[in-house]
Amino acid sequence: MSIIIEKVADCLVRAGSTFREDQKEAYRRAIANETNEQSCWVMQQVLDNALVAEQRRSPLCDDTGIPHLFLEVGKNRSVTGAMMQEIMEGVELGLRQLPGRPMAIMGDDYARIDQSGGLNPDPGALKPSPILIKPVDEDVIRLTVLMLGGGPAIRGITQRVFHKHNVDVVVDEIVNRAKEGVSKLGCSPCVLAVGIGRSQFEATSMMMEAMVYGNFDKQSDFEKKITEKVNEANIGPLGLGGKHSVLATFAKIGPQRASGVRIVALRPCCCFEPRRASVEL
Amino acid sequence: MIKELTTPLSEEAISQLKVGDVVTLTGYIYTGRDAVLPKIVKAAEEGTLGELGIDLHGAVIFHTAVSPAGVGPTSSNKLEIECTFGPLSRHGVKMHLGKGAISKETVAALQENNAVFAIIPPVTALLGSQTVEQEIVAFPELGMEAFNRLKVVKYQAIIAAAKGESIYNK
Repeated sequence: MSIIIEKVADCLVRAGSTFREDQKEAYRRAIANETNEQSCWVMQQVLDNALVAEQRRSPLCDDTGIPHLFLEVGKNRSVTGAMMQEIMEGVELGLRQLPGRPMAIMGDDYARIDQSGGLNPDPGALKPSPILIKPVDEDVIRLTVLMLGGGPAIRGITQRVFHKHNVDVVVDEIVNRAKEGVSKLGCSPCVLAVGIGRSQFEATSMMMEAMVYGNFDKQSDFEKKITEKVNEANIGPLGLGGKHSVLATFAKIGPQRASGVRIVALRPCCCFEPRRASVEL
Repeated sequence: MIKELTTPLSEEAISQLKVGDVVTLTGYIYTGRDAVLPKIVKAAEEGTLGELGIDLHGAVIFHTAVSPAGVGPTSSNKLEIECTFGPLSRHGVKMHLGKGAISKETVAALQENNAVFAIIPPVTALLGSQTVEQEIVAFPELGMEAFNRLKVVKYQAIIAAAKGESIYNK
């Protein structure tokens, strides 16, 4: 088996089973600062779960998510078709090792929509979403695997905002959309992933990039403002109330259109997300 | 203080629970969600639960699939799950275990039958370390949505609806 297949498989397992240090620390801070006992209990359970998952290399959540791939390529590096094939084989192997929940819907177009073709029992049969490739200055080929669950996908929204040449208008609309999404998401506290761009594709790509690079310890003023405003709603972990509906916001603002519209992609990530890990190939 | 509960749950143990209590659950519990719970209700109404090897008296039903990835709560307010709270409580279920806010009507139906709704965080790895047995009891053709029985040790949950009150209305 090639080293790339093994590296990608290991990366996927880490993404699905491990909290990063900044993520653990964010939970510890929130638990220390929360006055609502029930919310503290929820967040302590989530943190304990992460420690057990890391130790056992087992899934953080039974909705193990759909693999989303982000590939950074340095200017002196090349990605071949053979490498892409090995990445796909690594994803397949990783899904079996995690193990992922068997979620591959079988059948033709109609059967996949109405789910009449049943589920493939093989976790490895689950196909990743289309890969996103980004040129970078570093001399590297780095793959990031994100495992994106269904709850946030249901509550996420990608839609225009007429900005009226005022950043606060955009922030307020993000906050309003986030409050609704967070209140309906069963598995909070959330991380809000935000992408702003010129089209639905670009905004969603920016949102993906925000999830790849976002750090709980490094929050911009823009990100902090959104987090604070959503937390004023007192939704709390699992909707039980408290100051920590949202632990952080990860935002990426891309190029913008010369017009009165901004396209905003928003995903209220669940209490385990962004489930991500990276590996150099 | 955490209240320790052992299945099957007695009428007295349930009547002492109030919204906001954190409890631990130990013993055998059932699992089921959208696909299978309406079938369990139908079997209960037809009096065929015994033939399926199911005893709902004092039972806990955890709204989850059981897959190689483990277990974790799905939203209990999905139509085909929430509509089973009343009938299953009438047939002996004492605790419905899942997540999400449920309707006033469902809270009232629980009260009528001295049953409760408890929320369990989606902590799959932790629950995996606290699950010591699992077996399919009925409807195996539903795959991960079959009706399963788990033997669990100290699952933690919080009482979200009891005695006509809901944690979401406090």
